[in-house]
Amino acid sequence: MKKTISLIINYPGLLPGCLAILFCSLLPIHLFAQSDTIKNIKEVRVTSSVMPAAQGVIPSQTISSADFIHYNAFNIADAVRNFSGVIIKDYGGVGGLKTVSVRGLSANHTSILYDGVQINDAENGQVDLSKLTLNNVQQITLYNAQPPTLLQTARAYASASVLSIETIKPHLEASKPYLITAGIKGGSFGLVNPYLQWQQRLNNDWSFIINTYTQNANGNYKYQLDDGASSTQQTRVGTGVAIQQIDGALYWNTTDNKFNLHINYYNSDRGLPGAVRLYTPPPIGQKLYNRDLFVQSGFEHDWHNSLKLLVNAKFSQNQLHYFDPQFPNSVGFLDQHFSQREYYQSTALVYHIKPNWEVSYSADLSVNNMNADLANFRYPTRITLLNVIATNLTFSDWTLQGSLLNTNINETVKTGVTVPNRNVYSPTLMATIKPFNDKNFQLRGFYKYIFRLPTFNDQYYNFISNLNLKPEFTHQYDLGFSYSKSLQGLFDYITLTTDAYYNNVTNKLVFIPTVNYGYTQNFGKVDIKGLDVGVKTQVKLAAYRLSLSANYTYQQALNVTDPASNTYLNQLPYTPKNIVALNAGVSRGQVSIYYNQVLSSSRYYDNDNVDADYMPSYAVSDASVVYKTIIKHFPVILSAEINNLFNKSYVVVQSYPMPGRSLRFSFQITI
Amino acid sequence: MKQFKLNHLFIVLAFVAILASCHKDKTTPTPDKPTAQRAGIYILNQGGIGKNNSTLTYYDYSSKTLTADQYVAANTSKLGDTGNDLGIYGSQMFIVLNNSNVITVVNAKTAKLKKQITLNQPRSVVFYKKNAFVTSYSGTVSVIDTASLTITKTITVGSDPEQMVIANGKLYVANSGGLDLTPATTVSVIDLTTLAETKKITVIADPISVTADAYDNVYVLSLGNFVDVNAGLTIIDAKTDAVKSKPTVSLGYNIPIYVQGDFVYFPTADNKIAVYNAKTQTLSAANFITDATTLAVPFAISGDPLTGEIFVTDAIDYSSAGTLYAFDKTGKKEYSITTGTNPGKIVLLDK
Repeated sequence: MKKTISLIINYPGLLPGCLAILFCSLLPIHLFAQSDTIKNIKEVRVTSSVMPAAQGVIPSQTISSADFIHYNAFNIADAVRNFSGVIIKDYGGVGGLKTVSVRGLSANHTSILYDGVQINDAENGQVDLSKLTLNNVQQITLYNAQPPTLLQTARAYASASVLSIETIKPHLEASKPYLITAGIKGGSFGLVNPYLQWQQRLNNDWSFIINTYTQNANGNYKYQLDDGASSTQQTRVGTGVAIQQIDGALYWNTTDNKFNLHINYYNSDRGLPGAVRLYTPPPIGQKLYNRDLFVQSGFEHDWHNSLKLLVNAKFSQNQLHYFDPQFPNSVGFLDQHFSQREYYQSTALVYHIKPNWEVSYSADLSVNNMNADLANFRYPTRITLLNVIATNLTFSDWTLQGSLLNTNINETVKTGVTVPNRNVYSPTLMATIKPFNDKNFQLRGFYKYIFRLPTFNDQYYNFISNLNLKPEFTHQYDLGFSYSKSLQGLFDYITLTTDAYYNNVTNKLVFIPTVNYGYTQNFGKVDIKGLDVGVKTQVKLAAYRLSLSANYTYQQALNVTDPASNTYLNQLPYTPKNIVALNAGVSRGQVSIYYNQVLSSSRYYDNDNVDADYMPSYAVSDASVVYKTIIKHFPVILSAEINNLFNKSYVVVQSYPMPGRSLRFSFQITI
Repeated sequence: MKQFKLNHLFIVLAFVAILASCHKDKTTPTPDKPTAQRAGIYILNQGGIGKNNSTLTYYDYSSKTLTADQYVAANTSKLGDTGNDLGIYGSQMFIVLNNSNVITVVNAKTAKLKKQITLNQPRSVVFYKKNAFVTSYSGTVSVIDTASLTITKTITVGSDPEQMVIANGKLYVANSGGLDLTPATTVSVIDLTTLAETKKITVIADPISVTADAYDNVYVLSLGNFVDVNAGLTIIDAKTDAVKSKPTVSLGYNIPIYVQGDFVYFPTADNKIAVYNAKTQTLSAANFITDATTLAVPFAISGDPLTGEIFVTDAIDYSSAGTLYAFDKTGKKEYSITTGTNPGKIVLLDK
């Protein structure tokens, strides 16, 4: 281990001018600047006959930049909402918080990788996906368990599922060494969102990309407030946003080496009104300010003698300022500042013992600390050391992969007492087999044991700090199959994937809000049985091209804490049993039309499964039309999107109404 | 509380509550012998903060029927957000809805709405000589004329006042300061003739619950400051308005306190119901409950002086239906009733 660390630390010295030292923000990362049009067009052509990869070792679902418009996606949360097994928690509005939970596990169990490096939040454990926009994103993949590659950070092994975001990398020719994409989006909520992307080739090996955008909106929208006897229309106010982000990445690629240096700064002021309450005017004036910076760098070397190295480093700093002008304390407002920093290094080595047998070792070291202007704050620092060994065996009809993660955590505080050190081993096993002559059919399965730690909030930040909290452990079992076939004729391809799973959660961490204070407890056990089904196809019919995808999610997530309790075997709050997501598109020549439909069955917002906690099912439809053309040899894309086409009144989170019908228009030109 | 809002924003995202606690005994109340004058029992359930699910459970002694939400039954519309206190005065019942910023006045027998009185962050209500006194997180006690149902006077007290009690002709108000960085440490004394604050008595930090016995003792339960001051009990002599004692008792973070006869009942850190003897000023029982009944989260305590019964609610996990237990005077369970979420106040209704 020591050796690994010194290797990591010394490594930057080998790369003059490109020290892998980073500033980094935990949260936001993205940039507005959509992928270049040419590339999009190319992709459409190519992907139209290339079927999506469905036959991985692990269940995974991917969406790439060309498809974002199919889903009216404005941010990462929108882009992944059709995935099977995913529940998005959405507080509504342009600036509303959005988190993703996968297969009945809380959002803290899904880690977000950004070009392979985790966006970590030691304070809350959850990344607000509304802060991640799509302009510089090439592709998003959700992996259950962990990504199947071995050349990756130890953190990639350390969560129950991984949402991996890959940014756009410049691939330019000497004949045209630059590519500039400029665009603007605007529409309902007073949205104005101009963006710019500049890709530049410097020479054979070096290139860079810069993305920047601003996003402003007043955010106001109408909603229905129902007091049980009558319904009145109110306006959600104070949901405006003012966001700026700049993201730059420098790349160096040779046959043996890949290097990148990524810098990102995100600045946002968001109105974040609280719950809508009966008989009192809507809340107003609550604001969340984020100032997030990160620097991350990666270096990959291939010795071509069966050995590969991947080094990553990151620094991030997240500042969060919360202001509530209606807080009923003696000064009449609440004004709080929080900041957290992360210093992170990772090294991974992969060795090919035989062409079909790889082994790897990954080691990550991270230091997280946090400040807050709270009385008696403890100023925690967490040092996490992760070590993973993994191996992968491939034969013609089957593969076998296994990994063992060791997590070692040490926490210190400036004042008060801290938690004991932790040392946990967590294994993963996965296998695939093609049992039939038809090699398009593959069976797969995995088992993973992993946990999520109590966050700084859970441990230190509440009135009653709870230092006895245990990690929340999960066992995941999955068995599924995929069938995918390229076809000639009417259908380009068809893919079908189905996975049944069983997840078991113990020591579930639950935040208990009470009127005067709140705290987190290890409160129970959960049994989750689920089914993820996905089908996708593409049809050519004369000059028309039709795309169709459908995803189905079944989740039975039961509270099995205490057989004597009235809530035993109740479905968990905010967990619909059935979700259906449909997407259809038709394109002819320059024009494409897309339609998206998400249906969620009813849910409960509390632990009882009774009428009082009932939240009705909802169906939300979106549609878009895209027109691609060339103006003076410059590719131009125009699009119009309608969200919540049928103006349905619904809520995802109790007392946080969602917007009705809204429009968004965009214009983009590539030079 | 300070950072409660922020918790709300983030952590609350994660609260898929699962919980614990043990009682599956469904509602089969067979009240022994409610005296002829009692019509039934109201339980005000807070619901969850921001969930608009406060409810008013009513159990009718003669028809033996349980109504999960008497307010909705009477009015169709919902009660609102975070019903924190309830009091009956004459034919009227005052329901204090903290986060809806209203005091909902209803007919006590039917729960039919008479009027909603707007008040910022109201917390608790007591009555004295045709006036209702309501604390508000604005740092005030509002005086409401129970005939006209209008606020006639606003008395400034300390920060974030919580519960009140009347003893020796004076109103004692717990100034919690619970939403400030540093909790408050006083109880305001209000002269009920002049309706003005006359004194502030220093007590243990973050006082929340108050009650009084027949010997002019005022009992103040405080949460402490969560750092170096633990939750504790301060006893004030209402004759002299001086602190009489601070007996060492075990306290948790849910601290209802109730006096019946010579005994003071409050929950302990391990969720038992301790009994303090008001006459001898000593702890008389570590646990009032003498059978196998256990509580997960004792949330409200009340009783019927006519029968000697003691009622205790259990919020269980704060996110599902609670339970009301009725114990006889010997601490044996008589029956239980399923309530709404976070049953925070129990009040008997007379015929």
